[in-house]
Amino acid sequence: MNKDILVIGGGIAGMQSSLDLADMGVKVHLVEKLPSIGGKMAQLDKTFPTNDCAI
Amino acid sequence: MLDVGRHPNISLMAYSEIEKVEGHEGNFTVTVRRKKRYVDEAKCTGCGACAEKCPTSVPDAFNTGLGTRKAIYSYFAQGIPSTHTIDPDFCRQLNGKKCGICQKTCQADAIDFDQEDKIVELDVAGIIIAAGYDVFDPSQIPEYRYSELPNVLTALEFERLLSASGPTDGHLDLPSDRAVEAEIKALEKKIGKSKRMLEKFEKKFDESSKQFYEKYNKGDYSDDKDRKKWADKYAEYLAIMEPLEDLKKKAESFTTAKRLAFIQCVGSRDFRFYPFCSGYCCMHSIKEAIIAHEHENETTSRIFGMDIRAIGKGFEEYKIRGGNNSNITYVRGRVGEISQGPNNNPVVTYEDTHERLVKSQEFDMVILATACVPTIGIIELAKILGVELDKYNFIKTSPFSPVDTNVPGIFACGCAGAPMDVPESVAQASSAAERAAEIAIQLRQVQNVQF
Ligand SMILES: Cc1cc2nc3c(=O)[nH]c(=O)nc-3n(C[C@H](O)[C@H](O)[C@H](O)COP(=O)(O)OP(=O)(O)OC[C@H]3O[C@@H](n4cnc5c(N)ncnc54)[C@H](O)[C@@H]3O)c2cc1C
Ligand code: SF4
Repeated sequence: MNKDILVIGGGIAGMQSSLDLADMGVKVHLVEKLPSIGGKMAQLDKTFPTNDCAI
Repeated sequence: MLDVGRHPNISLMAYSEIEKVEGHEGNFTVTVRRKKRYVDEAKCTGCGACAEKCPTSVPDAFNTGLGTRKAIYSYFAQGIPSTHTIDPDFCRQLNGKKCGICQKTCQADAIDFDQEDKIVELDVAGIIIAAGYDVFDPSQIPEYRYSELPNVLTALEFERLLSASGPTDGHLDLPSDRAVEAEIKALEKKIGKSKRMLEKFEKKFDESSKQFYEKYNKGDYSDDKDRKKWADKYAEYLAIMEPLEDLKKKAESFTTAKRLAFIQCVGSRDFRFYPFCSGYCCMHSIKEAIIAHEHENETTSRIFGMDIRAIGKGFEEYKIRGGNNSNITYVRGRVGEISQGPNNNPVVTYEDTHERLVKSQEFDMVILATACVPTIGIIELAKILGVELDKYNFIKTSPFSPVDTNVPGIFACGCAGAPMDVPESVAQASSAAERAAEIAIQLRQVQNVQF
């Protein structure tokens, strides 16, 4: 039995899940179908409600 | 993003797809197809020299088609990994033509036209689905004429125009003007070629083309074959020059968009398409209007909606701030039609439900707040995983266990499960991580006891 976790999709949700698990010491395999991670948020200029840069 | 790429506990497989999943909670076997990029991930440094030299331009999906990229590309400048990818649909070499320029350029020897897909098998205890969403295609709404009117955009397209790293360097250039500028560029290229050809004749006969052409038209040199060719070429030149001059004159008056209309609930809260509220689009219209005003402070925006849904920490205040400081007015009413006005300006016809009047107003640009819809490929992915979808094809979860799917050990978060904004996606993501960690960490404890 293995104790790794698979995350499908590297948008903000997949990245956050992966980082949380990795910080808990769990090994994560993150699979993204596009050439780079980032998802829709990477395409946004800034994000509400703080207008921080999206990337 | 950078942290994800660097974390020692995260193994990142981009440009990859899930092919098969077997097993159960605590013990899944997953088959992943790592698609061939035709670029060796271990060697590519992401320097971009290949893309600079590649002769093939392709619409850039990251910029929602508003800009171009090359057939060898990195998905976006700051993308992780920065490994470049060759687009097999457009690459000249992969389509039987002679090229291979990228291979000759690459100092790291990373280009590999013979690369094959790789199949990887993983053993995992749990799975999190974070496959996100797509934006609704507004061309399905005929009265908004998105495909016909160049200055009617989706909100995602507008984000790319606002972005300093986008196709217009953050300027709100009108798509209709950009089309004219592209035409000017194409004609200038043609005129350059034509001029070079004329210069050859001018050198040979030691006369300017204009002078020659006047004489030629009077009937001189009528039997001279070479001069006939020259005359034809000069006529061709004039036929390009005239429209080019007209377009250039037109381009002198081009300005950026300053009168903006935002139309809410495009595909959402619409019984023809999706009856649900997508939740975040009222807020992103306000945000986009605030940023547009930051870029140029004479910008005015009108946001047309049935109501403005600003539900979240600090959201209502944000909406009010937009109204007070950023020239935004909120119009209660649903837009019935967008039509073509003068100079490609879209005209919005709407019912003002306060005054109970039907009104029309002309804008420079109209931005459609399109619905959040299930991502392409979600049906196949759900089948592979054995998870149920809801009636819209989002991953089925329940209000009281919002990240659990019907399969134990498989969780969902973010817009894969339902439309939601970034703060909620992040909260769900942490929640799904915690649910998955319960399985992984329990197993670790069991195994520690055994060994
Ligand atoms: C115009 C616009 C502006 C917005 N502005 C804001 C804002 O300012 N603030 C805010 O809070 N929210 C905003 N949002 C909402 C925000 O985009 C979403 O809340 C957020 O991106 C959801 O993240 P996600 O990770 O769930 O999905 P996505 O960002 O869609 O990520 C999903 C990832 O999964 C990948 N994927 C899909 N299918 C598969 C598969 N089968 N296998 C592997 N990988 C797969 C995708 O390629 C993608 O990388 C905006 C939305 C729009 C449309
Ligand atoms: S968030 Fe606003 S624009 Fe989006 S669907 Fe809901 S009400 Fe309509």
